[in-house]
Amino acid sequence: MASEPFDVIIVGSGAGGGMSAYHLTKSGLKVLMLEAGRHYDPATETPMFNIPADAPLRGVGTPDKPFGFYDATVDGGWEVPNEPYTVAEGSEPFTWWRPRMLGGRTNHWGRIALRFGELDFKPRSRDGLGYDWPITYDDLAPWYDKTERLIGVSGAAPPRGLLNTPDSPPGCLMEAAPPRAFEIFYERAFRAMGIPVIPMHGAVVTQAMEGRNTCIFATPCGRGCSIGANFQSTTVLLPPAMATGNLTITTNALVYQVDLDKAGKAKGVTYVDRKTGEHHSVTARSVVLAAGSGETARILLNSKSAAFPDGLGNTNGMVGRYLMDSVGLSVQGRFPALEGLPPTNDDGQGTQHTYVPWWGYGKQKDLGFPRGYHIEIGGGRRMPSLGIGSYVADDENLVGDALRDTLRNRYGSGIGFDGRGEMIPNDDCYCELDPKVKDKWGIPVLRFHWKWGDAEIRQAAHMVQTFLEVIDRLGGTPVPGYETDGRKAISKGGEMIHEVGTVRMGHNDKDSVVNQYGQSWAVPNLFVTDGAVLVSSPDKNPTLSILALAWRSSDHLATLAKQGAL
Amino acid sequence: MSDDAPKPYVSKIDRRTAITWIGIVGAATAAGAGVVVYGPKIGGQADARGYGTDPNLVDPARAPWPRLLTPDQLQTASILADYILPASATAPSASAVGIPDFVDEWVSAPYPDQIKSRTVIVKGLSDLGRKVLKANTADRAAAMSAILATPFFISFRKLTIGAYYTTKEGFRDIGYIGNVARVSDPGPSEAVKAALERELKKLGL
Repeated sequence: MASEPFDVIIVGSGAGGGMSAYHLTKSGLKVLMLEAGRHYDPATETPMFNIPADAPLRGVGTPDKPFGFYDATVDGGWEVPNEPYTVAEGSEPFTWWRPRMLGGRTNHWGRIALRFGELDFKPRSRDGLGYDWPITYDDLAPWYDKTERLIGVSGAAPPRGLLNTPDSPPGCLMEAAPPRAFEIFYERAFRAMGIPVIPMHGAVVTQAMEGRNTCIFATPCGRGCSIGANFQSTTVLLPPAMATGNLTITTNALVYQVDLDKAGKAKGVTYVDRKTGEHHSVTARSVVLAAGSGETARILLNSKSAAFPDGLGNTNGMVGRYLMDSVGLSVQGRFPALEGLPPTNDDGQGTQHTYVPWWGYGKQKDLGFPRGYHIEIGGGRRMPSLGIGSYVADDENLVGDALRDTLRNRYGSGIGFDGRGEMIPNDDCYCELDPKVKDKWGIPVLRFHWKWGDAEIRQAAHMVQTFLEVIDRLGGTPVPGYETDGRKAISKGGEMIHEVGTVRMGHNDKDSVVNQYGQSWAVPNLFVTDGAVLVSSPDKNPTLSILALAWRSSDHLATLAKQGAL
Repeated sequence: MSDDAPKPYVSKIDRRTAITWIGIVGAATAAGAGVVVYGPKIGGQADARGYGTDPNLVDPARAPWPRLLTPDQLQTASILADYILPASATAPSASAVGIPDFVDEWVSAPYPDQIKSRTVIVKGLSDLGRKVLKANTADRAAAMSAILATPFFISFRKLTIGAYYTTKEGFRDIGYIGNVARVSDPGPSEAVKAALERELKKLGL
């Protein structure tokens, strides 16, 4: 354990904070990590082979555990006790997922690890919409390579050269998981539509890797992994950082303020201990914020001083702006063709084995919306859940052996199609401090503003039509409950848990809060390494990019620290 | 009762659960109630708490809320669950794997979805109980087949199916063969692939 004086304080222990700690401690810097949640140990706390019958209510989601009893989320979900947030009057719904545990959301995340593509970094140059990043794909590519090699990502395949869907160089990815029956099945419909289906990139170790256990091809990744065969900050980043002797972790430390010295540089942070209610200030030569896009913005907005009366780095009103999420929705189908297949073990790596990358580049005028989506498709003979009763229609009066036979026959014949689409940042989506509401400790909370743009609404409607066509081509029927009106079908803001933006990087202090290394324009020894720095929200899930950016930014920080430039 | 009357339902509770129940019985007796009252304070009141936001996931404790169903309702749940899933040649009945206890746990839970289904299910069990608890075999069967289209039966059957097939016995019956550690994932067998190809061909794919 390192002790004061610390070189760096890192706020947050998820993808951004974990990667920052990994690189900075390995660079020889003494790091204090502050995590708002409790300590969490995947080795002893992961319910690996538990079945629904072992859990209360067969493990279904409740307000206490919204994603189900076994989900690797502690003290959180859509609401965190004692830590409210608000949504402005007149806003569309917004919802904010937060855990309170070491490793943050990397413990339960979907492990989908897709690279952003070259167009994703230059959206404004492409079609005049959104904003360009201060970096290109080529700037980040080496860091994607390093990140994939470090965390373990499956999905190796011969290069395809698909536009804006980067192939990883040889040696970066591990073996792709073999397509399961339902994946072989749906691929034919997409093929007939001229749409490619390719291996998913999943942050799961699928072949021998030094220092890591290989996947056992069982148990859902969303519970976390006791053997560390998928990527979690708590199993992949924090243990080697601790092993350097340079990392100290303090849990239950809810940071709410960056403290400045007289020269205007960051001298540390102040936090409240969630268990004791005591307030503490700690010091270091530099500060890294990686508390998550919402919480990072909140800390900056709550860091008010004479020099920054509206919050640190917020002189131009940029903090909290350009909040984005992914567009998301789901349509389920039932497929007689999949009924009665011989029993087979469809457990596998936690992510989908294949997926559909966006295929509509160059067709935007015909499609009527500017940006794309990819499709994540779930199905197969996975561990039954309480919802399995929905394989029988309400008006089918089946009981006894007829019911057993029907269920046995239909089990595994459902497929769910989930779209994940790009959102273009707009002026109606942002967060700010609520003028009245405070958390349990008296600290102002965030108030969210949300409004999907027409581009997202039209994209959502297209998702539904695509899924319905695929279901039809496969001889299936859609499960009722879906909406064809994009406005009704689209997810709530924040619901995809890809909230990014709010402290974006840019070319100068007029268009952004931080530079291309996440370094604050206003306070040069303050860095942001979480999803807050993202300039666009491509359809690709953000975690891999957050990791790669955090590594790149931390490398810059370490270089400056060694030069004595902080 | 005739010889083919349903056996009295015996809760499939473990030792830990039994101890908790003894505690409830003891408390009720001490209060002078004279009879065991199942969860009289349920529904937003003090002792109807959930399992919280940080429960032990590896070794889950028994759901902490008091149970609501009376012995008659529990017995009715057992009769109806076994009407839906009686023992087959190869699999146990619903009551044999404790489905009535699960129904009790479900309708007694202090969460919005469960509170919503509570009214329908508890009333449905009370109504059905009057028709089946002391009935002969023919009347019992008639009483159950008469309710097939009711919201009560539809919800109860969904719960029964869901609860049954999320047990090890249910896994076996439905053909779920996963949840075992493997050194590799070989993908679907040739038999599965061949069956799939036949279906794809029919679809012109």
